[in-house]
Amino acid sequence: MASDETAVLEEERKTLPTKKKRKKITGITIAQIVFVIALLVYMEIAVKKKWISPVFLAAPTDIFKEGVKIIKDGTLLPHLLISLEEVLAGYALGAVTGIAVGLLWTLFPKVEEFMSAFCSAIMAVPKVAILPLLILWFGIGFKSKLVLIFLFTVFTVLFNTVGGAKQVSDEYIKVARVFETGRVKTVFKVVLPFALTSIFTGLKLSAATAMTGVVFSEMQSAKAGIGYLLAESQNFLNTKRLFFLVILVTVMSVLFVKFFKLLEYLTCHKWRKV
Amino acid sequence: MPSIRIENVGKIYEDADGNNVTALNNINLTINDGEFVSIVGPSGCGKSTLLEIVAGLQPATSGNVYLDEKPITGPGRDIGVVFQSAALFPWRTVRKNMAYGMEIAKVPKEEQKKRIDKYLDLMGLKDFADKYPSQLSGGMRQRAGIARTLIMNPKVTLMDEPFSAVDHLTRSTLQEELIRIHQTEKKTVLFVTHDISEAVLLSDRVILLTPRPGRIQEEYVIKTKQPRSRTDDEIIKISAQIIADISRGAEFKEAEYFI
Ligand SMILES: Nc1ncnc2c1ncn2[C@@H]1O[C@H](COP(=O)(O)OP(=O)(O)OP(=O)(O)O)[C@@H](O)[C@H]1O
Ligand SMILES: [Mg+2]
Repeated sequence: MASDETAVLEEERKTLPTKKKRKKITGITIAQIVFVIALLVYMEIAVKKKWISPVFLAAPTDIFKEGVKIIKDGTLLPHLLISLEEVLAGYALGAVTGIAVGLLWTLFPKVEEFMSAFCSAIMAVPKVAILPLLILWFGIGFKSKLVLIFLFTVFTVLFNTVGGAKQVSDEYIKVARVFETGRVKTVFKVVLPFALTSIFTGLKLSAATAMTGVVFSEMQSAKAGIGYLLAESQNFLNTKRLFFLVILVTVMSVLFVKFFKLLEYLTCHKWRKV
Repeated sequence: MPSIRIENVGKIYEDADGNNVTALNNINLTINDGEFVSIVGPSGCGKSTLLEIVAGLQPATSGNVYLDEKPITGPGRDIGVVFQSAALFPWRTVRKNMAYGMEIAKVPKEEQKKRIDKYLDLMGLKDFADKYPSQLSGGMRQRAGIARTLIMNPKVTLMDEPFSAVDHLTRSTLQEELIRIHQTEKKTVLFVTHDISEAVLLSDRVILLTPRPGRIQEEYVIKTKQPRSRTDDEIIKISAQIIADISRGAEFKEAEYFI
């Protein structure tokens, strides 16, 4: 108890100065905002006055207009949906498999002994390097993207699940044993809740990489998707569209990660700090 | 009927370097039905080890432990264990933590609720039933941990320094509660502590172990009726006796090394 209370106190001590700092920082925040606005204004003027070729840079107003245009004329939506479909399907499959195999390993250490060497080996392969192979096997459509995103996701989630499960404290296992909890129930009632923190870390890490993976693979070879649209815009030297798409992909990636932060908050905030 | 019989129990650990560490040596002890027995001794003498062997959490290297004449081979519902740090599951509320053992034992829901309400009341945790362990004080956590064990109605309760992590005042309250519960339920208790006066205050019998490897050095029977006071003559006398015997044990130990 004593240690927990001091932990809380320390927490407070830590947060107090930062709060004060935050107030002091307002000056810097203003400077940052001014800097960003200045940069945007410069981009606008530089492009409009032809100081810089519109091939290299785009005026913020043009980027915005281009965005509105491809949303309104229906150019964007089909590509956006395809990318989302690929990333969500691949990610979901990877995440579920990662957690399931992680729990399987925890239940049956022999399975881990057998599999972990292979999984580590596949994990070590830079995923983008096997994209050509995936395309040979699965074509340039949905399937190759699905498999790539799956590979991007599954190992991070798997190793985070297993890592979290291994850290479960002896005490909790002893409690489980004292109450004669069976293997399966121990895993689901004790190990899994304990490993949640680590599992969420895995989910958040791989959410960001999954987005990267889908855009990259579509740029390499695809008939549709945001990445395809990016490559096409580059071919047509449509710089303002490139800028808009980059912003869009960034926002999507951030939202994807934020979604898991929210999910983690909803599942865990009652009993621990998230 | 003797409730627990510890027979020639020894324990040898192998440490990380592969050396053998003898933690316990030839322990013989019988704990009678309804008796409250404490084990005291210097740090590292094997108290927790002995408790875990009795709990069936780890095997003895030699000897046997019997519960009602049946050898203990693993953890079981007849033996409840309270851990030093309460070890509540942080993702469960107090109520859910108390329900854990009953959940595993598939006790019907209404019965669970009835017993939980009774123990919430008994432990003064009514207002905290739906709080998580991180929202409780150390004393409350310990009470919830004790409730989680007692609620299963085990024949024997083992406690490993259950009050060592709480402040002095809370400890006195918890000690009183424990005595009260023991008086009403007459359950067999094996209690590990390094607090001599706590042991003497609570127990019918106190067992003193020698420094590692732990052997039984001395046994003290405390006859004063409960409720006792720390200032009772016998309590003071036996506490002083034990403290004197502990330093004697340490001397023995040193002498052994020199020979
Ligand atoms: N898993 C283990 N592996 C190796 N040695 C161990 C292990 N557990 C305990 N020991 C050793 O056995 C001895 C007894 O340990 P134990 O925890 O039973 O002591 P204790 O009397 O409970 O001490 P304390 O009062 O500090 O809790 C110690 O010397 C310890 O180093
Ligand atoms: Mg101990």
